[in-house]
Amino acid sequence: MISKDLSVEFLGVHFENPFLLSSSPVDNCYEMCAKAFDEGWGGVVFKTIGPKHFKINEVSPRFDELTKEGTPFVGFKNMEQIAEHSLEENLHDLRHLKDDYPNKVVIASIMGTNEEDWETLAQLVTEAGADMIEMNLSCPQMTSHEMGSDVGTNPELVKKYCAAVKRGSDLPMMAKMTPNITDMVPAAKASMAGGADGIATINTVKSVANIDLDRKVGLPIVNGKSSISGFSGKAVKPIALRFLQQLRTAAGLEQLPISGIGGIETWQDAAEFILMGATTLQVTTSVMQYGYRIVEDMKNGLMHYMEDQHVEHLSELIGVANKNIVPAEDLDRDYKVYPKIDWDKCIGCGRCYISCFDGAHQAITWDIKTRRPSIDTSKCVGCHLCNLVCPVGAITTGEVVMKPGTKGNPEDVQIESSRLTHPVQ
Amino acid sequence: MSTKYEKEAPSYTMTTVMEEAARCLLCHDAPCSKACPAGTDPARFIRSVRFRNLKGAAETIRENNAMGAICARVCPTEKYCELACSRTGIDCPIDIGGIQRFVTDYEEQEKMDILRKGDSNGLSIAIVGSGPAGLQTAATLLQKGYAVDIYEKNEKAGGYLRYGIPEYRLPDEIVDVEINRIVNLGAEIKYSVTIGKDVTMADLKADHDAVVVAVGASEAKMLPMFEGNPYVETAVDFLARVKEAKGDIDNIPASAVVVGGGDVAMDVATTLKRLDVKNVTDLVYEEFDEFKASKKELDATQKAGVTIVDGYVPTDVDGNTVTFKHRHLDSEMTIKTDLIILAVGQQVNTDNLGVDTDHGEVQHSGYKTDDEKVFFTGDIAQGDKTVVWAVRKGKEVAEEIDQALLGGNK
Repeated sequence: MISKDLSVEFLGVHFENPFLLSSSPVDNCYEMCAKAFDEGWGGVVFKTIGPKHFKINEVSPRFDELTKEGTPFVGFKNMEQIAEHSLEENLHDLRHLKDDYPNKVVIASIMGTNEEDWETLAQLVTEAGADMIEMNLSCPQMTSHEMGSDVGTNPELVKKYCAAVKRGSDLPMMAKMTPNITDMVPAAKASMAGGADGIATINTVKSVANIDLDRKVGLPIVNGKSSISGFSGKAVKPIALRFLQQLRTAAGLEQLPISGIGGIETWQDAAEFILMGATTLQVTTSVMQYGYRIVEDMKNGLMHYMEDQHVEHLSELIGVANKNIVPAEDLDRDYKVYPKIDWDKCIGCGRCYISCFDGAHQAITWDIKTRRPSIDTSKCVGCHLCNLVCPVGAITTGEVVMKPGTKGNPEDVQIESSRLTHPVQ
Repeated sequence: MSTKYEKEAPSYTMTTVMEEAARCLLCHDAPCSKACPAGTDPARFIRSVRFRNLKGAAETIRENNAMGAICARVCPTEKYCELACSRTGIDCPIDIGGIQRFVTDYEEQEKMDILRKGDSNGLSIAIVGSGPAGLQTAATLLQKGYAVDIYEKNEKAGGYLRYGIPEYRLPDEIVDVEINRIVNLGAEIKYSVTIGKDVTMADLKADHDAVVVAVGASEAKMLPMFEGNPYVETAVDFLARVKEAKGDIDNIPASAVVVGGGDVAMDVATTLKRLDVKNVTDLVYEEFDEFKASKKELDATQKAGVTIVDGYVPTDVDGNTVTFKHRHLDSEMTIKTDLIILAVGQQVNTDNLGVDTDHGEVQHSGYKTDDEKVFFTGDIAQGDKTVVWAVRKGKEVAEEIDQALLGGNK
């Protein structure tokens, strides 16, 4: 079994590996965190601890899933709020986790309703022995508008509360941002101005996942009604990566330490978040679906990836892809690439023909007798929708041509892509 | 060249293996992983496939089983992991063998080097026989730091893997790849040496710290009435002849009769069909409900077009004409054919090897003999006579040797 050093330094804290449970139902007591540590997680962001005066009262049932064809959990909707255990119980658990797992990182997620709450909670979790604080400024399903994402979309409040936490604690602190905002940069900058040392993002995306067609109510149904609440899982990964990219390319935030969150399930997802600027990685939805054991393949797969990339430390990979994602106006628009069909692989299903006609530029002709598609280069714009729908990987990138009136050598164009030039075999 | 004989069933693609892995329920306390005689952990490697960690999947398979790519192809999984599979509660079990084949193919494609030679402990072991049990014994010992010499009586290594299992089920190339891994770990294979004839056990014992007798049941059994009959060939000889010629053999008969109902008989009958023998009739002592062949092999044989007649025993033969009688019914049939192949079992030959066998097996459990330097494993040890059991016995004898020589310590 391969063995490589997966450790990272994040906000001055050493993590044996970057994989953390995010603040959520998956780590709401000592026993859960202990089992996760035993199975190999590097740390936990213990389920958000609120002020004593705020009482949690949850609905039942409280989850829903988005499916597509036979695939469950494409996305996951969750209505649970912050920790339902008492403040004393939570602090007790934090303390014992740190005692029993001194080499694991215990991060306390906290959420207050005012400056005093935030400062007090920061003090309490620091006294309990937490290694780091995460400010939950982003839960989208709180029953109070003084909490959660309603706060996180307001930069002034964000800054004020961050400063309050810093008054209450010297621990390194990250502010957890909501994606329910057009531009995350002002909120992130406000949190840094208030004293945050880094950013955790994304929290869940506000959603209505499904409607019960007979009862005309969103799911899950809570005594005849439902609510908007947070959506997570694989479906939100692209949204999360987009926010990481925008943060890491904003002026002044180029070196922003980020704990990446949003649909991480495999080592490939993890590697993507790291390449987009994350140092640590937080996971919930796939743990809810499959259990803590998923960390085994994430760790092992990431080690193999490091080996393949000739990398000794994950830090060498952080943010490496940020520079290659540029504004749309800066992309090279002088050429197009025609797709190429491998006749030996083609099984004659015609899906490329349908998609090209109905979704693109009617550039695939279909031989009704031989059941074979062919590319009409006079119409093809090189969009490669055909590549994406081909079920057998028979369509790859082919010839590069320069558009009329442009200069440049087609051979200099970089079209290599694991997806398009080497579709999965 | 008979491509039909050589052609292995197609493997999964990345897309289709993911579809199959997605059918896996990722059970808690997975029953499949408790069902493998060789200790394979399908739940673990299928989960790795599911989470796109193919290299991790390959590590899980290979570290447990030096014959991983071979077992993927020849194991009667429907008796073990697939029988235990929880998915059966919905429809049909996960194709565990197929996923294992995909993963081990990927391992080879990526030239992964998973097994590591242990730090040398200065001890040397001789293994007699390079079948699956001998090879697994070698792999386990090499990982523990022993030097290993394998003595093989034939020109090529692999035993029944090489000479018995047909090309379309187990390509020679796969056998080569698996053996090369063990050679790369440091095994020395000495070919065309018969222990007890060319080299004595005494010599082996003098040169090594222990000797493992891993000779399989490599000799065919003959029924007295067929002895000396020019129309008769044993399954062992027939399968070796066809495999060595890659199916390109002379004088393909128009019809053939196979006698026997085990997996070997199924291989013979299916091979005959793949060689385009028009009429292949297999007469089996057992009735269908007591069949010895694995269900998978039986199905494949019937699908290939072989006529299987159950419950019959040969009672008389006159040249190319054989008479069979039903064991219970008053029924008799006489078949005239071009070729009669006997697949009625195999026997071991442990002459001058210092191991006493009766009915092909040492009559006590474990892997030790009265001579503290001599161990045995494989077919002659108690337990099933399949590749997956050979792997298990190979690992177990290696542990026993390690215990005996070093108390299990490094």
